[in-house]
Amino acid sequence: MKRKAWRNVLALALTGVLALGLTACGSSDSKTADAGSAAAADGKAVYRTLDEIKESGTINIGVFSDKNPFGYVDENGEYQGYDVYYARRLGEDLGVDVNFVSTEAANRIEYLQTGKVDVILANFTVTPERAEEVDFASPYMNVSLGVVSKDDNVITSLDNWNADDSIIVISGTTAETYLIANYPDIPLQKFDSYATAKEAFENGTSVAWANDNTEVIAFALQNEGYTVGIPSLGSADTIAPAVSKGNTTLLDWINDEIVALGEENFFHADYEATLADTYGLDYEDSLVVEGGKVNAQ
Amino acid sequence: MNWEFIEKYLPMYEKAALLTVKIGIVGILFAILVGLICAAVQYYKVPVLRWIVAVYVELSRNTPLLVQLFFIYYGFPKIGIRMSAELCGVVGLAFLGGSYMAESFRSGLESVEPIQSESAISLGMNSRQVLGYVILPQAMSTSIPAFVANIIFLLKETSVFSAISLMDLMFTAKDLIGLYYKTTESLFLLVVFYLLILLPVSIIGSLVERRMRYAGFGD
Repeated sequence: MKRKAWRNVLALALTGVLALGLTACGSSDSKTADAGSAAAADGKAVYRTLDEIKESGTINIGVFSDKNPFGYVDENGEYQGYDVYYARRLGEDLGVDVNFVSTEAANRIEYLQTGKVDVILANFTVTPERAEEVDFASPYMNVSLGVVSKDDNVITSLDNWNADDSIIVISGTTAETYLIANYPDIPLQKFDSYATAKEAFENGTSVAWANDNTEVIAFALQNEGYTVGIPSLGSADTIAPAVSKGNTTLLDWINDEIVALGEENFFHADYEATLADTYGLDYEDSLVVEGGKVNAQ
Repeated sequence: MNWEFIEKYLPMYEKAALLTVKIGIVGILFAILVGLICAAVQYYKVPVLRWIVAVYVELSRNTPLLVQLFFIYYGFPKIGIRMSAELCGVVGLAFLGGSYMAESFRSGLESVEPIQSESAISLGMNSRQVLGYVILPQAMSTSIPAFVANIIFLLKETSVFSAISLMDLMFTAKDLIGLYYKTTESLFLLVVFYLLILLPVSIIGSLVERRMRYAGFGD
C-alpha cells in the first residue's frame, strides 16, 4: 500500500509540472500572437496602411511554401521562387523586413480579410469573384488553366468524360471553380495543398490533374512520364499581388512600384533567376507581364 | 449571415456529415475490436504477442492521426498497397483508436483487485463464471467513461481527413470558403453539424455511464 501511495504522489507531482509547463508555453505564445494581430483587434480596419507597415519595420507577405518554382522552401529552409523574388524586392524598396507567411490556395482570401498578411504574392489569379473580396494590384504574370496526364493515357479533351475517372484539383484554385462551373459532371478529387495533390497524382489516384498551366507545365518538365495534354483551358488570366479590400495606400504604392520595376525589366530578371531553370527561355515573353501592362496575345 | 447560401449548401454538409459518421462508425467498431483483442492479450500476458501489442500501443498513441493517414494514403501506394481514401480513413481510425480502446479496457480489467477473482475461485466458480460475473461487470463500469471519451475523441479526429482528400465536414467548409469566400456561414454550418453529431453521443454516453456505475457496488 505504501508504494501505491508514493506512486500517486509522484503522478500528481508530474501532472502539476506538466500543467505548469503547458500554461507557461501558452502565455508566451499568446503574447507573440497578440503583437501580430494588434491591428486586427482594435478598430474595424483589419489591414495595416502603408505608414503602419513602414513604422513596424516588417511587412507580412503570404506566399506558397510548396509550389516550386513560384513559391517554395528550398533545402536550406529559405523561401525561393518567382513570387518570393518579387516579394523580397518589395520589402527592399519599402525599406522593411519581409516576414514570409506560408499560405495554401484556399486560405489566401481569408488571410487578407483577417489581417494575417499585408500582401498575398501566392500565384493569385485575378477573377471578378475574388476582386469583390480583395483588391488586386497590376498584374505581373500571365496564366491560364492546363491539364496534365500520364504519357500512356494522355488527355487532350474534357468532353465525353468517363464518369469513373476523376481529375485532381486543389481546393480554392481557379481550376476547381472553372471545372465546377463548366464540367459539373466530372468527378473532382480535391486536395488542400500542392504537395499532397502532387503526391496523390504520382500515386495514380486520378487520371489527370488540372491546375494553372504554368504549374502543370512545370510538373511535366520536372517529372518523367507526364504530358500536358491540354495546355490552355478557359480564359487567359493574369496573376497579381492582392491586398485587403480598401487598403488603398498600400495598393497605390504597389501599383507605382510595378510601373517603376517595369522600366528596369525587373520581372524578366525575376524569370531568368527563378523560372528559366524549369521552363527554359521559350516561355519568358508569354508568361512575364512588365509594368502591369498585358500585351494582347 | 447569408441564409440563402446556407440553404443552398446544406445538402453538401449533409453528405459530408454522412461520410464522417459512416467512416467514424466503421472505424470505431474496428477500433473496439482491436482494443478488445489487445486488452485481452495484455491482461492474460500472452507471451510474445504482449510485446507486439505493447509496441503497437505506444506507436499508435504517440503519433498523430494526420501522420498515420499520410503514411497509409501517400506512403503505402509506394510499396504497392493501394486503398481508397475512405478505406484509408477507416484503417487510420482503427489503428489510432485501437490503442486508446485497448488502454481503457486494460485499465478497467486491472482495476479489479486479484483478490476478487481468487475469492470467486475459492467459492467454486469456474474461470468463465469468474470473468462473466465478477471481473467484467466491474471492469466495464470502470472503463465506460474512458470508452465514451475515446469515441468522442475519434469522431473529432475525423476532421483531419481533409488531408487525404476525403470530403468530410472540415474539408467541405474549407472548400466552400475557398470557392465562395463565405467564411462565417461555412464555419457556422461546420460547428452546427459537429454538434449535431457529437452532442447525442455525449448525452447517450453519460446516461450509459450512470447506469453502469451501479455495477461497481456489486449488485
